[in-house]
Amino acid sequence: MQALAEAAGKFVFFIGLIVLNIAAILTWVERKQSAVMQDRIGANRATIFGIRMLGMFHMLADMLKLFTKEFFIPMGARRFVYLLAPMISLLFALVGFAAIPFGDTLILGGREIPLQIANVNIGILYIFAVLGMAVYGVVLGAWASNNNYALLGGLRASAQMLSYEVAIGVSLVGVIMVYQTVDLMEIARAQGQLLWGWLPQWGILLQPLGFLIFMTAGIAETKRIPFDAPEGESEIVGYFIEYSGMGFGMYFLTDFLETILIASLTVTFFLGGFQVPYLYADGFHFPWGQAILLPNIAVAALQFLSFLIKLIVLLFIMMAIRWTLPRFRYDQIMHLGWKILLPASLINILITAVVLTIIG
Amino acid sequence: MNVHDKYKPLSWWDKTYIPLVIDGLAVTLRHFFRNIRLHILNVIGIKTKERGAVTYQYPEEMRPLWPRTRTLHRLMRREDGSPRCVACMMCETACPARCIYIVAEERPEVQIEKQPKIFNIDLGKCVFCGYCVEACPEDAIRMDTGIIDIASYTRNGMLLTKEQLLNIEPKVENYVSRPDLMEGQPIY
Amino acid sequence: MPTITIDGKQLTVDEGKTVIQAAEEAGIYIPRYCYHPGLRIVGQCRICLVEIEKMPKLQVACYTRVQDGMVVHVNSEKAKRARQQVLEFLLVNHPIDCPVCDQAGECYLQEYYMQFGLYDPKMVEDKNKKHKAVPVGPHVVLDSERCILCTRCVRFCDEISKTSELGVFHRGDHAELLPYPGRTLDNPYSANVVDICPVGALTERDFRFKVRVWYLDETKSVCPGCATGCNIEIHTSKARPYKNEGRRIARLKPRYNPDVNDYWICDYGRYGFLFVDDDSRIEQPLVKQNGEFQELSWDDALQMVSGVINTALENGKAVRILGSAQMTNEDLYALKRFGNEVLETHDIPVTVKPLEKPYSDDFLIREDKNPNTRGAALLGFDTEPAATEKLLTACRNGEVYTLIIFHHDLFKGFAEDEVKAALDKVDSVIFVGSNLNPTAELASYVLPSCTWAEKDGTFTNYAGRVQKINEAIEPLEGSLPEWKILRRLARQFDHTFAYFEAEDVFRDIVKKVPAFTGMSYRALGDRGMLVSENGRSVQQAEVKEELTVVSK
Ligand code: SF4
Ligand code: SF4
Ligand code: SF4
Ligand code: SF4
Ligand code: FES
Repeated sequence: MQALAEAAGKFVFFIGLIVLNIAAILTWVERKQSAVMQDRIGANRATIFGIRMLGMFHMLADMLKLFTKEFFIPMGARRFVYLLAPMISLLFALVGFAAIPFGDTLILGGREIPLQIANVNIGILYIFAVLGMAVYGVVLGAWASNNNYALLGGLRASAQMLSYEVAIGVSLVGVIMVYQTVDLMEIARAQGQLLWGWLPQWGILLQPLGFLIFMTAGIAETKRIPFDAPEGESEIVGYFIEYSGMGFGMYFLTDFLETILIASLTVTFFLGGFQVPYLYADGFHFPWGQAILLPNIAVAALQFLSFLIKLIVLLFIMMAIRWTLPRFRYDQIMHLGWKILLPASLINILITAVVLTIIG
Repeated sequence: MNVHDKYKPLSWWDKTYIPLVIDGLAVTLRHFFRNIRLHILNVIGIKTKERGAVTYQYPEEMRPLWPRTRTLHRLMRREDGSPRCVACMMCETACPARCIYIVAEERPEVQIEKQPKIFNIDLGKCVFCGYCVEACPEDAIRMDTGIIDIASYTRNGMLLTKEQLLNIEPKVENYVSRPDLMEGQPIY
Repeated sequence: MPTITIDGKQLTVDEGKTVIQAAEEAGIYIPRYCYHPGLRIVGQCRICLVEIEKMPKLQVACYTRVQDGMVVHVNSEKAKRARQQVLEFLLVNHPIDCPVCDQAGECYLQEYYMQFGLYDPKMVEDKNKKHKAVPVGPHVVLDSERCILCTRCVRFCDEISKTSELGVFHRGDHAELLPYPGRTLDNPYSANVVDICPVGALTERDFRFKVRVWYLDETKSVCPGCATGCNIEIHTSKARPYKNEGRRIARLKPRYNPDVNDYWICDYGRYGFLFVDDDSRIEQPLVKQNGEFQELSWDDALQMVSGVINTALENGKAVRILGSAQMTNEDLYALKRFGNEVLETHDIPVTVKPLEKPYSDDFLIREDKNPNTRGAALLGFDTEPAATEKLLTACRNGEVYTLIIFHHDLFKGFAEDEVKAALDKVDSVIFVGSNLNPTAELASYVLPSCTWAEKDGTFTNYAGRVQKINEAIEPLEGSLPEWKILRRLARQFDHTFAYFEAEDVFRDIVKKVPAFTGMSYRALGDRGMLVSENGRSVQQAEVKEELTVVSK
């Protein structure tokens, strides 16, 4: 019972309070960041009593609009699947966060609470499974729409997502080999250790190639520019062409949630997760011998903060990439996925294996 | 020269896209941080020569018009206040949108003979090409009022009659001789 | 016959021709102002200067007769320069009013200046002021400043209308074209001076400021004003309907046909089109109920009319027709078939003799104001006015149950009480026509037909020349050509007239009526064809005579 309440609390805190809010804010960031990058001002016309808040209210306006718009079901659509598809999309984007550790252990009233919603000890496999399911929402929605453009978008999406899932999987093998575990919490913890006594053992340092591959394939998984062939506004509009109202809203939200999910995964695997360099369960222990002892609650807060900051920086970079690169041609996407990323990740495994064997 | 000669073949490093992605990011991020700096400086009240965005907040902020910008039409008057237009229908003929409607009538003064009885311009159709101004042999029609906020709730509201066109008050202050030399200009 | 070379082209021309005519034959156009093929040659304007080898100076092409071995250069540098200079002189006192000048667009000053002009005029002196916008007659406005003194109009009044109203007064650069004191330009051919004036000095009063000429569309047609059948062009303003006070026809212009009217038409014909866009046009079929006309649809109207006729026929009562020579051959032929096949009446009168004798002369204007009386006669109608009188008498005697009247206003041909007495005795009068007139007011049913400008067809003029008219404007909504009305009416009686366009009717006429043998719309061309009697073309002699009048 208590375990359940604990899980519920973590769920509300992490997914309800953090992830969904970041997703909402991301819609604003997307507009504003792109505007600033392009010497524009960006959306700023929505006001409440003359207060502009840098156009923040556009989030509200969007939400209002999406909620009040007619949810249109096209003629000949598979009603049930059509209604279900966006929910599947949204669901699998959300459940992925259950396995993300956003802090170490918090000791609250004598209880040791791991800061991770569900402590799945085969976390990586779970993540693979969730990412694999994401494609269903897209394909089902596309097929149920009874629209050729949607179907084309769905086809492109499935081919693309399947291809890149391979690269994601293989690139993470290196991580598993280095940290010798498939438990996300363990991987995050392992990154707190030091190499040669001073260098934090972050994934990006041990697996630089793996990081690049994972990031690239991850962005491809989110179906955002430069990998937005399934949406392709200028040619086919995409798998959600028929969706309106909240149906579209859910796909829209899924887009941002997936971005956050990929970013959190990257943080967890390669950027030390919640780790702050030299911060241990009882406080800072610097390599030169100095130590600052902190209570557990402060440590947990610092760890969570570090996770959040890493996440935000990563999101910023992903946004910048999205607003910098043009879209790949579809054959280029396939070429990159199968002929570059996959061999590269295999080579990464080989190198990792060789190095691990040599240093024992 | 073959256009392809301008391009060196990509090295394998280029083919990984990584340097190009970094180049691109450098450009966009340079703009990002420059603009953010300007925006912040503006917010805390430090005036800069440049602005953080090229955007004009149109209804509140008027874009300075170059002297050649074509704006709302007006009909010119003679010194005695009568319209300069002699209803020659050159503008009506030149108008590619066919949005000028002229009906001529006799003018008592025999040296000029002719004047417009009806002179309507349907701004809903006008494409602001300025051909009418070019065509006019009498300098009777001009597009130099500086008025660009032309809107109406009805189609009829977009139809300007002779009287309206004769009585348009030009807003010359909207024109500047060299907008690019103005202070606090957006960067282009 | 002399052989000459013009701009490298060698050709042999008739003795006595001038260079400008020879050049025309060779397809080379020499600019001209004063020269007009319908008028005497005076060599007044000097724009036609050409270079002729072995002649020391440039010669006027309009006046110089061709001689064997002449070598003419129309477009040599010298000739072009001469034209340029002439234009400079012509413009010395010209106001260049083009924006307000109705001629702009068909002005030969503009035309030649575009081709040969100096574009950088050397004249700086003040211009002479002369009379402007003087109405010199009921149809013509004069602007002396624009006149280039070519005297075409003077010669027209001297030679063609023989009324001599115009003359050139004063001397030097004060010379000015004006009517003689106390005279107005009011001869029945006065508006022709507008057509021949190469510039905007003489313009039409009716057309003044209405439409710019470049907005006009042109359709070839024939004047419906009298039996002469002058060839005309109908100028319509379709693209900009807000002009011209909503009138669709802007003006009529004569069309050259040496067999009929040469270059001229009379003023009655020229302004005879105003009824086309008149308020009296009938736009929908009408039925009289309680003394008021009610509009109704064509289907209902045809049903009612055929019902009336049917009742009469079933009861063995007479249904009679009064046709009109305003109708085309096609309309008349359909009417004849309708009369013969449906009503089984064979004598259909078409002529109403007007009470007062209309104006006529021995040039173009004929007493018969109908364009197709000859055609009606050839198609088997009774064109004698007496036949109409007989019909009215029959009406008065109560022998006619239903009377179908086409176009005619009986009050123009008979005394008022006579008409009223006749029509009162008729049970139902059916009027078919384009405009309401006092006779139509007395009818029980009115069917709108379209005017001559709104349909295709042919007229046969007094001399037996069949000429084509073409649809210049769409029929007014609700109106139909008479042959279509009759086709639909016949349909109500289960008679099929298998005609879909006017040409089908004409083909039928050609097949059935010997006088029209060998004709087709294509064969008629722009100048028409003479009908044949006993296999011979008729009255060539009379036409020849007509021609000599013109070129005297
Ligand atoms: S600006 Fe162009 S489209 Fe507009 S009225 Fe003038 S000519 Fe016509
Ligand atoms: S061109 Fe000029 S003078 Fe002519 S009608 Fe137009 S405004 Fe009037
Ligand atoms: S006569 Fe010809 S040149 Fe003279 S004002 Fe008229 S259009 Fe212009
Ligand atoms: S009015 Fe016209 S036709 Fe007559 S002399 Fe002058 S220019 Fe010639
Ligand atoms: S045309 Fe020959 S002088 Fe006028």
